[in-house]
Amino acid sequence: MSERDVILSAKDVEVQFQVRGRILTAIRGISLDIYEGETIAIVGESGSGKSVFTKTFTGMLETNGQISNGSVIFEGKDLTKLKKDQDWEGIRGAKISTVFQDPMTSLNPVRTIGYQIAEVIIKHQKKSKDEAKKLAIKLMEEVGISDAANRYDEYPFQYSGGMRQRIVIAIALACHPKILICDEPTTALDVTIQAQILKLIKDLQKEYGYTTVYITHDLGVVANVADRVAVMYAGQIVEIGKAEEVFYTPKHPYTWALLSSLPQLGIKGEDLYAITGTPPSLYDKVVGDAFAPRNPYAMQIDFEEEPPMFKVSDTHYAKTWLLDPRAPKAEPPKAIQNLHKRLLSITDERGDYRG
Amino acid sequence: MKRYFLGRLIRSIFSIFIVVIIAIVMIFGLIPKEKVFENDPQLSKLSGKPDDRTTYIYTRWEELGYLDYVTQADMCKAYSDDYNECMRLDVTQETNETGKVVDVYSNSEEGQKVIKIYEEQGYTVDYMTTGFAWASRDNSIFNIAVKYITNMFKVDNPWAVTDPDNPDMDRSIYFGTDNNGMPALKCSGCEHQYLIYVDGSFPFIHQNWISLNFGRSYPTYSGSYTMDVISDQQGEYVQKEVTFDNGTTAMSSLDLHSCQYKQTSTLDRMDKSRFETNYANCKSFKSEASMINMSYIFGIISLIIAYIIAIPSGIIMAQKKDKWQDKLGMVYINVMIAVPSLAFIYFARNIGIMFNQPTKFPTYGGGDIRSYILPGIILALLSTASLMIWMRRYMVDQSNADYVKFARAKGLSQGEIFRRHILKNAIIPIVNGIPSSIILCIGGSVITESVFSIPGMGKMLPDAINANNNAMIITLTFIFTALSIIALLLGDVLMTFVDPRIQLSSKGETR
Repeated sequence: MSERDVILSAKDVEVQFQVRGRILTAIRGISLDIYEGETIAIVGESGSGKSVFTKTFTGMLETNGQISNGSVIFEGKDLTKLKKDQDWEGIRGAKISTVFQDPMTSLNPVRTIGYQIAEVIIKHQKKSKDEAKKLAIKLMEEVGISDAANRYDEYPFQYSGGMRQRIVIAIALACHPKILICDEPTTALDVTIQAQILKLIKDLQKEYGYTTVYITHDLGVVANVADRVAVMYAGQIVEIGKAEEVFYTPKHPYTWALLSSLPQLGIKGEDLYAITGTPPSLYDKVVGDAFAPRNPYAMQIDFEEEPPMFKVSDTHYAKTWLLDPRAPKAEPPKAIQNLHKRLLSITDERGDYRG
Repeated sequence: MKRYFLGRLIRSIFSIFIVVIIAIVMIFGLIPKEKVFENDPQLSKLSGKPDDRTTYIYTRWEELGYLDYVTQADMCKAYSDDYNECMRLDVTQETNETGKVVDVYSNSEEGQKVIKIYEEQGYTVDYMTTGFAWASRDNSIFNIAVKYITNMFKVDNPWAVTDPDNPDMDRSIYFGTDNNGMPALKCSGCEHQYLIYVDGSFPFIHQNWISLNFGRSYPTYSGSYTMDVISDQQGEYVQKEVTFDNGTTAMSSLDLHSCQYKQTSTLDRMDKSRFETNYANCKSFKSEASMINMSYIFGIISLIIAYIIAIPSGIIMAQKKDKWQDKLGMVYINVMIAVPSLAFIYFARNIGIMFNQPTKFPTYGGGDIRSYILPGIILALLSTASLMIWMRRYMVDQSNADYVKFARAKGLSQGEIFRRHILKNAIIPIVNGIPSSIILCIGGSVITESVFSIPGMGKMLPDAINANNNAMIITLTFIFTALSIIALLLGDVLMTFVDPRIQLSSKGETR
């Protein structure tokens, strides 16, 4: 992994929001290198800052939010320094694209599908209308819309949810972006369509060679597609590593808790595991480990001092005091021990969940 | 689409009639008929003459449709072979309680027989001081409603006129030319001479073929048909050089296209010197537009100004949400909503005075543009506030939509998003309201028209209700209902052009 080129490098990113006169620190110093061509998944519960973090790549923070510290270097440029819309021209939508959660509402209901695809091509690739139409139809075919030429002039309400998400992907890929951010791309779709969309994004990645950043709370999606996984909690990355490392040898108690609460891994006859408590308020300064109050393995130091990133392997890091040599040895919960074997037992030979 | 329209049209017509019938029932069923004379100065002049008074009252009521009124003469004409015997009165002299000798009249046997026939038909019979009988029978509300509705549409035809002095009249519809040489569809034997004609005023092709008829206006504008009251030109007569049928040219204000049949017995020398046919009963050109047109002109002027001001302001406010432009607009909207419209009208009028604008419409009349500027602007400003706030609201709603977020992620600039995406969505509800705004201008505005003494429609309905002008109330009810329904339909049709999701079709119909 390390021999690959870093395409985007975030350093100590901190994002703050003004909410009714108070300051909320949504991202508390994240450093993350994203490598060219990889698929990285950012997982975490609602409010952990997954979306906010990736919004700093495209300058799409809400107007009351600002990047208060750190840098995001992309192609030699610090994206945190870009303020105006003109500055983002040529990056947002052209080199870094986003696919949003709800395909039902992501498209303008009163513009034709064709118009909405061609618009981007005209804008970023400076093509004429006719050329843009040809390219758009080709794109529609690539994302699996049959009879694309005839459906070019149709409106979003004439498309099903899955087809709309294909169109959204087509629009996002229209300008051959370097990075594709998928913000919960399958949450609003039913399971069979989910699989199709994930496969589509994967297949097109081979052709277009983009880097994919998944934002999701669905660990099933992560297991399916991700090369690397970053687990976020309370505005920080608490564990990052290759997908196998995070799934099979997780080190952070929060990752343990997340995996334990997967319904598929529940043990028959036992109650499904649920993480107790709620995440800390980000209005106040978090002292120590943010997860400590909910952490059954918490030690005294967790409440006093923030843990550093401990290196587990070259690719695997976790932010917990449990990895300190002085810490007592803690066993992961039973539900996720031997996860590899357990997963094999509940999935078929193709790797799909048997249910 | 076709089936949808047909269904909707039928429902619309049905609802118009329902509304008219409700109005008729309210007017004729709930308001005592004596009320119609409250504003009639004529009646007080007759207070010393009981017979004339009775005749006047009952003739009016019959005209208004409340009842059937017959005099003894009518009765005798209808049922007696010997009119004179029927009308004969026997006089005897009797002494009453105070010792005075008075004449007592009694009807002849023939007369009593005829009166009996009417009594049997349900008429109430009474006697004048002259001894002659008269009878009346109230019409049921059902009959009144049926009469109104069956008479509502008058279709002119070559057998419409009956003139005993002109029995050999040609009865036909034919193509001809008018006195200016323009083509026209003419008629002989119809009420109107010109059924369809062309002239220089909007909408250029006009017709007299089908007309609405709601009876005559009373007590205000007494004697004229209600439709004429609101649609005839007003003001002073305007004379032009007119070439009549027989080639004579004279200065005259007559509108030859409006000429109607005049009975031969009533033709005077003047008529005979100008017209070859009996179509000599013409309307006149006058200096001011009709009430409807007057209100319409002001309505359209103000509407255009209002949209020109409000739509862009609303858009700018939404685009610059929470910036100074938005705050300034909000202050304006709040002031406009908070200040009573009458106060605003007088305030704006006083500003107008500083710029030497007339304060009354009649000062310069309809021919002068200055008469329109101040009222037009005031009417426009009065409606800007709500338009602005809705436009802003729709824009702001749309700018929070997901597709806007995605459009931003696509790399479109803020301006492009507003122009290409938000505006097209936000304008949909505004477009739906445009036909109503245009068509319902006809109703005029009560306050502004009163303040500027504009002879428009604004005060017609309240005035008609105050004066118990039944026919006028029904006329206005019909017009406003019909226009509202048409406006709604047009609004929906217009929506299909701006919103592809909306298709006007009934269930099961293929698109």
